[in-house]
Amino acid sequence: MQSNAALEYDYSVAKLFTYATILFGFLAMLIGTLIAAQLAFPELNYLIGEYGTFSRLRPVHTNTAIFGFTVGGVFATFYYVGQRVLKVSMAESKFLMFIGKLHFWIWFFGALFATITLLMGYSQSKEYAQYEWPADVAIVILWVLWGISIFGLIGIRREKVLYISMWYYIATFLGIAMLYIFNNMAVPTYFASGGLGSIMHSVSMYSGANDAMVQWWYGHNAVAFGFTVPIVGMIYYFLPKESGQAIYSYKLSLLSFWGLMFLYLWAGAHHLLYSPVPDWVQTMASVFSIVLILPSWGSAINMLLTMKGEWNQLTENPLIKFMVLASTFYMLSTLEGPIQAIKSVNAIAHFTDWIPGHVHDGVLGWVTFMIMASLFHMAPRMFKREIYSRKLIEVQFWLQTTAVVLYFTSMWIAGITQGMMWRAVDEYGNLMYSFIDTVTVLHPYYAIRTLSGVLYFVGFVIFAYNMIKTMSSSRELTEEPQFKSPMA
Amino acid sequence: MFHWLEKNPFFFAVGVFLVIAFAGIITILPNFAESSRPVVGLKPYTVLELAGKEVYKKDACIACHSQMIRPFKAETDRYGQYSLSGEYAYDRPFLWGSKRTGPDLHRIGNYRTTDWHENHMWEPIDVVPGSIMPAYKHQFTNLADIETAYAEAVTVKNVFATPYGDEFQATKAAWEAHKPKVLADAKAIAADMKNQDVKDAVAAGNIPEVVAIIAYMNRLK
Amino acid sequence: MDIREFQAYAALFMTIFLVGILYWYIVYLYRSEKKGEKDYEKLSNLALDDEIDSKTINSSSVASSEKKEQKK
Repeated sequence: MQSNAALEYDYSVAKLFTYATILFGFLAMLIGTLIAAQLAFPELNYLIGEYGTFSRLRPVHTNTAIFGFTVGGVFATFYYVGQRVLKVSMAESKFLMFIGKLHFWIWFFGALFATITLLMGYSQSKEYAQYEWPADVAIVILWVLWGISIFGLIGIRREKVLYISMWYYIATFLGIAMLYIFNNMAVPTYFASGGLGSIMHSVSMYSGANDAMVQWWYGHNAVAFGFTVPIVGMIYYFLPKESGQAIYSYKLSLLSFWGLMFLYLWAGAHHLLYSPVPDWVQTMASVFSIVLILPSWGSAINMLLTMKGEWNQLTENPLIKFMVLASTFYMLSTLEGPIQAIKSVNAIAHFTDWIPGHVHDGVLGWVTFMIMASLFHMAPRMFKREIYSRKLIEVQFWLQTTAVVLYFTSMWIAGITQGMMWRAVDEYGNLMYSFIDTVTVLHPYYAIRTLSGVLYFVGFVIFAYNMIKTMSSSRELTEEPQFKSPMA
Repeated sequence: MFHWLEKNPFFFAVGVFLVIAFAGIITILPNFAESSRPVVGLKPYTVLELAGKEVYKKDACIACHSQMIRPFKAETDRYGQYSLSGEYAYDRPFLWGSKRTGPDLHRIGNYRTTDWHENHMWEPIDVVPGSIMPAYKHQFTNLADIETAYAEAVTVKNVFATPYGDEFQATKAAWEAHKPKVLADAKAIAADMKNQDVKDAVAAGNIPEVVAIIAYMNRLK
Repeated sequence: MDIREFQAYAALFMTIFLVGILYWYIVYLYRSEKKGEKDYEKLSNLALDDEIDSKTINSSSVASSEKKEQKK
């Protein structure tokens, strides 16, 4: 191979995704904090007319968090990690560079467009698949573009073996492609009725219980392949790189990968326990959910053991702190999930606030922590400047950790309280509480959650400020840091 | 074999796909063979009810309300008979929901009236003190999109053989012919309402969203 | 055989089949390392040593990378 002294990794696409990820994260958390406050203080529903009600904003919050922030973070890290572990630069192929930029712009405007359609009320009302068919088409296009990027980079790679992170990115690509397409199969009514009515409207190809099965096969596994698989891929790269420690056991990472791939897809129906879908599907989902602890903890423990003998880094490097806490929250939520999937526990937990509580200790504690730590790690390499402030990272860390703890503890209590009150009967066997009793009792917990939202959001603003300062005015670096990210 | 897979990203990707697709093929596909059969006597939604379902989707009522009663005594006492698969045969999409910030609505038509809904949608805390549900006053002025609802009825009739009558055709003329029936349904609802603006709108041939969603709520039994 | 029965058998056999492959894979991983044919742990260095001009590993097998060493 000829020596390429001048050849460097080209991060222009990764930078674009980084900016947008920060923007969408800001929006998602701002709206999230607002709707948390609306549950505690309903007067806040009327700030912007019909567009400001809880119900209209809630899908905007979830979809911006998923398709804007998280997916953006996954793309940003892919365009960074992908080049590095394959040892090939985007600058070497004009075609891939073009595809990468097109991918970014279609994703960015697609996400904005989709957000606006949701605010206007165009919704399929399938959770995390609310986007109507035109936005779905945009998502399919951008996903194909991402696929071209992945396999294009692989096609021109110098390093022949694929690092485990690449496996996870490939799995994310395939998993979401399959799930998204099948769950969003719909017939646009405008075309099927000879041009009557709204062009935005469509009707699902599946009905009733079938639709429920497809939806939760999607809903659960979109979490799997959007919030777990790529984030595990990220931690397999960023934690070893930032700490300078080789993965504790590479073989364990391979086995956990296949275990996760095989088991995850079965677990979707645990969202449908005690519903009118076939019993055996429910039981199977329950069982597989519990077995799922194994591959999840396999990865998480592998990460914690990677730090073996190097725990002093936890005090020396705040980014290590973020990543270690992220894998700890990953362990917590992958234990909590299976517990909720046990039928008798689910009977109490389902429909209550324990479920959003579970989602958020995963999403705030694991996904967002990992994305922020990854972007922090990438910043000095992409912008060739040191991180602006270590102090701000520390402040942010403690604010957000407190926030996550407040969030899930308050929602645990709220969920179990509500679940128990719904089923409480007096000595004659009559229901003890009317429904509204079980709502008003939750006020303090909703207020605590609002506080947690505010803390987390402030932490995110500090993160954004720190990143912007790093990009613009921090001290310049003469050479790329090898492991630990330099910070002032 | 494993060594070969490590070196061939394409076949590796095929392998991953087979492993992840397997669960879906086994658990979901066979259930489509016996597509969900409607319970005896189940009628497809009227156009006005479909328009109401669209309002339900538009304002994302599903964020806080479920439509699925589990087979527990505490739930059947509170909401009525537990839900059966066949009751949802015409629901595209299904609207079971996953969160009860508010109560279940699957059989709300059994115990709430047009009058109750009108007051409640206007100002929930006047009807249920302590309620944290937002008021949906905009539904009293926004107009329901009944033409799109008709388009949906025609689509599900033609594509999925949902039993709508012969008068449901994919033509403008058929829609114009059907429109008076929708208006008549709306008038029947409006007759039980007090809001003068709504009554006037319906009399003038326009159907506010609140009328449609009440028609839909009353249908949920 | 109705579709339900077919479904049950398909689920059972495919699960056993895939679990079998997974165990075979575990045995393969550890045995090939013991025999000295493969070294998976060196792949961890892909993250640590990822400069564009750093040496490629190219294969998990011990033999092939040693051969390359000799060529150079």
